[in-house]
Amino acid sequence: MEPRRKGLKPAALVIGGGIAGMQASLDIANAGFLVYLIEREPSIGGHMAQLDKTFPTLDCSSCILTPKMVDVARHPNIQLISYAEVVGVDGGIGHFKVRVKQKPRYVDVDRCTGCGLCVEACRLKGRITSEFDVGVSKRGAAYIPFPQAVPLKATIDPERCVFITRGVCGKIPACKEACAAEAIDFEQKEEMTELEVRAIIVATGFDLFDAHLKPEFGYGLYPNVITGLQFERLSSASGPTRGKITLNGQEPKKVVFIQCVGSRDKSVGVEYCSRVCCMYTAKQAHLVKEKIPDAEVTVLYIDVRAFGKGFEEFYDRVRGEGVVYRRGNPAEIYKKGERLIVMVEDTLLGESVQLEADLVVLATGITPRGDAENLADLLRLPSSSDGFFQEAHPKLRPVDTEREGVYLAGCCQGPKDIPDAVAQAKAAASSAIITLRNCMEVI
Amino acid sequence: MGPRIGVYVCHCGVNIAATVDVEAVTRFAQGLPSVAIARDYTYMCSDPGQALIKEDIEKFGLTKVVVASCSPMMHEPTFRGTIQEAGLNPYCLEMANIREQCSWVHGEKDKATRKAIQLVAAAVGKAFLLEPLEERRADVTPAALVIGGGIAGMQAALDIAKAGFLVYLVEKEPRLGGHLAQLGKTFPNLESVTPLLSKAIEEVEGHPNIDLLTSAEVVGVEGYIGNFKVKVTDRTTRRELKVGTIVVATGYDLFDAQLKPEYGYGVYEKVITGLEFERLVSSSGPGEGEILVKGKEPQDVVFIQCVGSRDKSVGQEYCSRICCMYTAKQAFLVKEMLPQARVTVLYMDVRAYGKGFEEFYDQVRGEGVIYRRGNPSEIYKKGERLVIRAEDTLLGEPIQLEADLVVLATGITPRRDSLKIANLLKLPRSADGFFMEAHPKLRPVDTVMNGVYLAGCCQGPKDIPDTVAQAKAAAASAMAPLCQGQVKVEAVTSIIDEELCSGCGICAEVCVYDALSLHERKGVMTINEVLCKGCGACAVACPSKAIKLSHFTPTQILAQVDALV
Ligand SMILES: Cc1cc2nc3c(=O)[nH]c(=O)nc-3n(C[C@H](O)[C@H](O)[C@H](O)COP(=O)(O)OP(=O)(O)OC[C@H]3O[C@@H](n4cnc5c(N)ncnc54)[C@H](O)[C@@H]3O)c2cc1C
Ligand SMILES: Cc1cc2nc3c(=O)[nH]c(=O)nc-3n(C[C@H](O)[C@H](O)[C@H](O)COP(=O)(O)OP(=O)(O)OC[C@H]3O[C@@H](n4cnc5c(N)ncnc54)[C@H](O)[C@@H]3O)c2cc1C
Ligand code: SF4
Ligand code: SF4
Repeated sequence: MEPRRKGLKPAALVIGGGIAGMQASLDIANAGFLVYLIEREPSIGGHMAQLDKTFPTLDCSSCILTPKMVDVARHPNIQLISYAEVVGVDGGIGHFKVRVKQKPRYVDVDRCTGCGLCVEACRLKGRITSEFDVGVSKRGAAYIPFPQAVPLKATIDPERCVFITRGVCGKIPACKEACAAEAIDFEQKEEMTELEVRAIIVATGFDLFDAHLKPEFGYGLYPNVITGLQFERLSSASGPTRGKITLNGQEPKKVVFIQCVGSRDKSVGVEYCSRVCCMYTAKQAHLVKEKIPDAEVTVLYIDVRAFGKGFEEFYDRVRGEGVVYRRGNPAEIYKKGERLIVMVEDTLLGESVQLEADLVVLATGITPRGDAENLADLLRLPSSSDGFFQEAHPKLRPVDTEREGVYLAGCCQGPKDIPDAVAQAKAAASSAIITLRNCMEVI
Repeated sequence: MGPRIGVYVCHCGVNIAATVDVEAVTRFAQGLPSVAIARDYTYMCSDPGQALIKEDIEKFGLTKVVVASCSPMMHEPTFRGTIQEAGLNPYCLEMANIREQCSWVHGEKDKATRKAIQLVAAAVGKAFLLEPLEERRADVTPAALVIGGGIAGMQAALDIAKAGFLVYLVEKEPRLGGHLAQLGKTFPNLESVTPLLSKAIEEVEGHPNIDLLTSAEVVGVEGYIGNFKVKVTDRTTRRELKVGTIVVATGYDLFDAQLKPEYGYGVYEKVITGLEFERLVSSSGPGEGEILVKGKEPQDVVFIQCVGSRDKSVGQEYCSRICCMYTAKQAFLVKEMLPQARVTVLYMDVRAYGKGFEEFYDQVRGEGVIYRRGNPSEIYKKGERLVIRAEDTLLGEPIQLEADLVVLATGITPRRDSLKIANLLKLPRSADGFFMEAHPKLRPVDTVMNGVYLAGCCQGPKDIPDTVAQAKAAAASAMAPLCQGQVKVEAVTSIIDEELCSGCGICAEVCVYDALSLHERKGVMTINEVLCKGCGACAVACPSKAIKLSHFTPTQILAQVDALV
């Protein structure tokens, strides 16, 4: 290992600011080291920021996440670099050189107060599908992804902004006119920085299985077939419907949940189990019952994998509330009048049944990030056959990698619920702290 | 000049605002004496929410802050930090819980709003009398204690030791390894345990920073985060160790299969547990790597899952998380060693959730292991063989299976003596009997006892990779105070009025933190402010009313009560 340069606090790099990356950053920072946390989206938070309540204790996700996000932003040892990406990595353990590309927000973050005037003013307001709300709402080209965003700064979407794509947007761009802080800056350019770090933690999380790949379920065709993540936004108290589960203004009375969509399914090339969808379905079934007590709720499953602490008890509770669990995977969904019909073979009864539904929720599985290979190449990390990053040893080194000094946290290594993602993040932090402390001693 | 109070009413999205008229509460607060400014905001805890408070502190010269939002359990540390950053003493904050204690539990907006108003009035009343308290720091002994030398304890010890700190590893058995030492191969990749474990044990035994105490037990713990004094005995000696943090890694016991008498465990020799199966097939076991039951190779082997798990009739509601997979592994091993044997697994759900698990489950079925969904009602003997009666819930019909070997996948239970450790460390346990983490999502390895952390199966069932990850996580938590060298000490403590104290010692009896002792010369009680957690038990117990709790003094509480009634 290379001796530490004088006066420079040893630092670690964390890639990805979901719950895993945030937790790893906090642990390393609390041990007294500097952390650069790189998040490619405008805000940290990851998928957890999109969730309503969390199984099995049903605490509200943003209530427990927001203070963590604030802690990250406020920690004197953490330098949060949002809306940025890692584009190059050289060197090795103890002396990585990392090139980071800061994407232009077209907003001067030092001036922006997060007031949202530009968001209101944007000519495209309400015209662009909101990624954060998974299409349940629309945003403009100037946007703040969600009210608790950290950092709370506006961003201008360069692919949609009329001024950026066409060079004109009225006489003066509406956002620019609206901003009292004079923070809008269309002159901003991409910036490159180089960081020196001793250890790297990868915490880039997951994508969701694309439900279009199971055309028999009619996702994208029938508006009342939605994914589990869309359900979270519908049900979230701070979401676009203020927590009311409605479709076209109507409360669904018959709701069918389908588990294992794009998991345990060789026909779409995903053999593994996604580990969280059984439980998030149980949670969502409970939420429907809570908000619409007279709704008929059916869950279609192959096995119910309620394996974690308090999970079986929760599964029991949900059945006690009247949610009907039927074993069987559906063949097809079609439309009959206003309603949907779910065709399924009930493998316990050994007969085929047709279930009526006004809302079908697909529990889509957890997949590796679509661009995971890029990062794997940059870091020279191997992936396992399921496409997730591979740990150094499946039993005894679950967070280390073959590349010394590079560690894994959260769902980028494989599907995980929040407690397991947090435990693993802290584990990765432990490995990184060991590396950082040992680099120090070489002075 | 009297206090200048700022009041901040949070909407919590719609969590509060849908049930409580937050604007009305704010208007009311604005009218209270000494309130310089009252505001409402969507999320007080968010960055801009906190910025608002900080700006006001400067702009209006606030001396006290009241936040009406969620439970102080949640955000008291957040807002204490906020006002501290703006130059106020962190104890000049008071919270009114208008979410858990109001909007979440009431439906009618009028009444809920009225209650919220009262809660805010009470908080303002107390804030008026709040006094700044001094936050103190204590030095940290740069060493850690790990209790339990299974894979969890060994991994935690190694991580802390590698980071450069002294670790005492206390194992009650003569040897390290815990349950791992009894296993043969591991799912899902069928790697042998022995070489993995030997390497880990070698590393622990050889590490200069690890002081290993085997055949030893912890018999006493005193002190607090940063400065624990721990008494450890082995058969001959007694040692006192000084450590800054403690990791508990005492593992699990297995469900006692005799509690399910219908399976005849203990009656029929051919009914064994999964752990006994591990010994049976182990190359160092009785059959030297061959599966022999009474000297013969079994032709029909039946595995029964969920024995003592997911079963309210024996008081075990939870799932044991690993028996599905260890059964799949064992079924596979039978097929591998006895290709002619018929192997059946009886299950309720197959929980193959981990990395590579579903693929392994698939492979096992591909080898010809038959999975039948249904839980057996009874096992009885017929000649030399056993008959298992069950209901196949997929076919919807009763079945009878014959077998020469039945393997019960017994569940993971808390250690039968876990109460001992729980009492020594004052650790709460969850409903299932395992040690309880501080928060089920975001603090899975911390406990409510500062400085005490959990690793491995003592917190709940776990396979090896999850155990190792959690052990490293506990190490990360346990290292932080050691790295920092200092810890914050609770500023809210009891205060003894020496004039009133009669030295009767009743307070010392109720204090679970051993913070009170008799001052020999003065004949009155004294408080160790570092040990005191500010719980207030002593203040209630004192017959002479000689103890008050800072931050919760009688005048402060009465001011609150006055505002409420
Ligand atoms: C519908 C649904 C419901 C769920 N409900 C629950 C529940 O109730 N309880 C529970 O415990 N779990 C639940 N989960 C699981 C939970 O969402 C995950 O455990 C958790 O989000 C994992 O966090 P993570 O940090 O690993 O990944 P992510 O949340 O995906 O975060 C990864 C972060 O990294 C960033 N990133 C990605 N690539 C890069 C890059 N190249 N450079 C920089 N940054 C990058 C992303 O923008 C993101 O911010 C649910 C999941 C779903 C899909
Ligand atoms: C039949 C069976 C098969 C399994 N197969 C697999 C498998 O193939 N793959 C897999 O990943 N997992 C498997 N497991 C799970 C695996 O055993 C656990 O994940 C692992 O052993 C947990 O380790 P631990 O350190 O938490 O607990 P333990 O192994 O129980 O270790 C705890 C240690 O603490 C010591 N101790 C307890 N109390 C005290 C005290 N008061 N003071 C001092 N020391 C104390 C004990 O003596 C012991 O050494 C299997 C389990 C069983 C039952
Ligand atoms: S967790 Fe449940 S729903 Fe998700 S893939 Fe696994 S078995 Fe299917
Ligand atoms: S892991 Fe499988 S066998 Fe064990 S209790 Fe859970 S469901 Fe039953």
